Amino acid sequence: MAMLRALIEQWTALTATPAVIGVFITAILLVVSRDWRLNLLGLAGKYTFVALLMIQGMRLEMVALKGLIGWLICLVFYLTEQQSKSLTRASGETEELSLQTWTAARIETWRRKGVSAPGLFGFMAALMVAVVAYAAASSLPLPETPAEISLVAYLLTGLGILLLGLSRDPLRIGIGMLMFLGGFDLFYTALEQSLVVTGFLGTLSFVIALVTAYLKTVQAANIDTGRGG
Amino acid sequence: MIAGLLLFLILPLAVAVVVYVMRQWAALSSILAFAACVALGIIIIVIPLGRTVEIWGRQIVLGGTLSLLGRELVLRDFDRVAIAFLYLTAAATLAMAWWVSRRSLLFPAGLVTLSLLSGSLLIRPLIYSVLLLQIALAVSVFALQREDRGPTRGGLQYLSFSLLALPGLLTIHWLMERYALTPENTALLQASAVLVVLSFAMLLGSVPFHTWIPSLTGDGDLLASSFVLTVNHSAVWFLMFSFLETYPEFSAHADFASLASTAGLAMVAVGGLFAAAQRRPERMVGYAALIDSGAALVALGLYDERGLALALLALMVRPFGLVLLSAGLQGLRAPGNQDDGLDALRGMAWRSPGGALAFLMGGMSIAGMPITAGFAARWALYRALAPSHLGSALLLIAATVGLMIGIWRTFTVLMKCPRLSEGEEPETERRGPAPGPLVPGLVTAVALASVSIGLWPQIITPISVQLASLVTFLP
Repeated sequence: MAMLRALIEQWTALTATPAVIGVFITAILLVVSRDWRLNLLGLAGKYTFVALLMIQGMRLEMVALKGLIGWLICLVFYLTEQQSKSLTRASGETEELSLQTWTAARIETWRRKGVSAPGLFGFMAALMVAVVAYAAASSLPLPETPAEISLVAYLLTGLGILLLGLSRDPLRIGIGMLMFLGGFDLFYTALEQSLVVTGFLGTLSFVIALVTAYLKTVQAANIDTGRGG
Repeated sequence: MIAGLLLFLILPLAVAVVVYVMRQWAALSSILAFAACVALGIIIIVIPLGRTVEIWGRQIVLGGTLSLLGRELVLRDFDRVAIAFLYLTAAATLAMAWWVSRRSLLFPAGLVTLSLLSGSLLIRPLIYSVLLLQIALAVSVFALQREDRGPTRGGLQYLSFSLLALPGLLTIHWLMERYALTPENTALLQASAVLVVLSFAMLLGSVPFHTWIPSLTGDGDLLASSFVLTVNHSAVWFLMFSFLETYPEFSAHADFASLASTAGLAMVAVGGLFAAAQRRPERMVGYAALIDSGAALVALGLYDERGLALALLALMVRPFGLVLLSAGLQGLRAPGNQDDGLDALRGMAWRSPGGALAFLMGGMSIAGMPITAGFAARWALYRALAPSHLGSALLLIAATVGLMIGIWRTFTVLMKCPRLSEGEEPETERRGPAPGPLVPGLVTAVALASVSIGLWPQIITPISVQLASLVTFLP
């Protein structure tokens, strides 16, 4: 166990900067993309990179717990999207099934229409938030927190709020809340390393995921029954 | 021997599971949820602290300190009354829900929320209270979703605002620990004060963070919204008192009273203006709650024990107004009707007199009109404000007038003769079977309780005065 821990610590020390870049890319993807598959990939990636970052200053079992909750949330969202898809398909909307057809359809859309206006707006806004987060982390570093974690905490909190403001879809709002909470969690873990706090914050994240998943299902069910949403 | 405190954490969760499983049998599950709330609300008041009592062959001891997951659960006299209030208010809301939304998730979600809120009141240190409160607020969003609508935007806004308040409340603990070690560093205290103000402003829906309140009532399940605005809101108030007691530096701050008054008056003014102009009655309910919360903050701004007692009294009488108003309005709406406008309510008083009575009595109480429970709190507040803060009292009266305009406008539409176009079936046919004699009985009982408190406020005022004496943050 000690050897494993040492190995992981050595490896993560080397990957601190790549992990920050990974969080940056996945978080921006979450803001820009409206495709649930990309969003889920981004969310899972974000939780992985954040877990890698956390290993530097946290007990391994706590990092594992946080990572596990994150991936469970991704699973909840995946199942919700599957459920929504089956509900909307029942109402006559068709969805492309295979990865190949989906990728081909995406490329075709980008080729024909270019980047969508909301996507471009989201990208520009996310870049601005990233610049503000960088400035804040440089001029107002969070106490008791390494510089890179401080930057990521600001970035996730800012992008979470941005996503809350830009979205109408319940799952995207949920992702915004989870990003905000994740950013704060990064900072707060440095101040309070209690396992109970970690458990409560994890429970809160999970309840938020369940609430937004429930609302997403309601939305799909209402489209199915023609009540809109 | 059973530690009584665990009852309030575990029993609601266990009943919630049973209620959820049995939700197909709506009457049975709602009666079970209601009975659990009433029983727990009474038990916590009746069982003396620290003494062992025997219930159904089991020895139960209430009070003292209990360790759970290495954290302390402490029951103080104040928490005892507060928990009883939460459970009994929830019981009243669930009784009304049995009438208007039997299949609502309010029953199981409400019970889980109550368990978490009880934990939040009992657990120490405060960071755990904050976390349990946040989880409770998130769980209550399940109940806000209406069966016949798209996803509740109000519920999502509520969850977002409460989540935005979380970092501030958790960080205060660390900042104040630092301040205790370095009292010369007043920047730490200033930062904490700013965080506490912003966080509670978001949780209480103070202007400009009030937008979630009318959205909540506007598109969420109305009775579940009133659960949030009475039970959850009261828990937030109790948490605020705990913060002020734990960190007396905040209440000793020179700007505390003026800040509370200003925030309260802003809520009162915005609520009064928008309630008068509102054409959607459900959103008007939200503005009514905003005015009432503002009035409680104005009372707190008096910065003495009398003001605190008035704030607590306002919290205690709020359910009489809000629950009755919400139940009445929800009972008047035809299920499945997507039209939220005023015209859809035309003539409904003739179809559902119980609903119209509940709407009127609830509206009058939340506005603080005479012979209703709300008047007991509001009249005492006018009298306390008039000598030194006449402008505040007048603004409060103006807001009351604004709200009454909105309520009266809706009531006159309810009383109009129903309009039927040729070939259209009467509204009663579309509304399904009549609710039976229990519903008018229930509404009449709550309305009578409201009138009794309005006529004899001494029934309830000693409780608020005694509660205020137990809170120690005032000089």
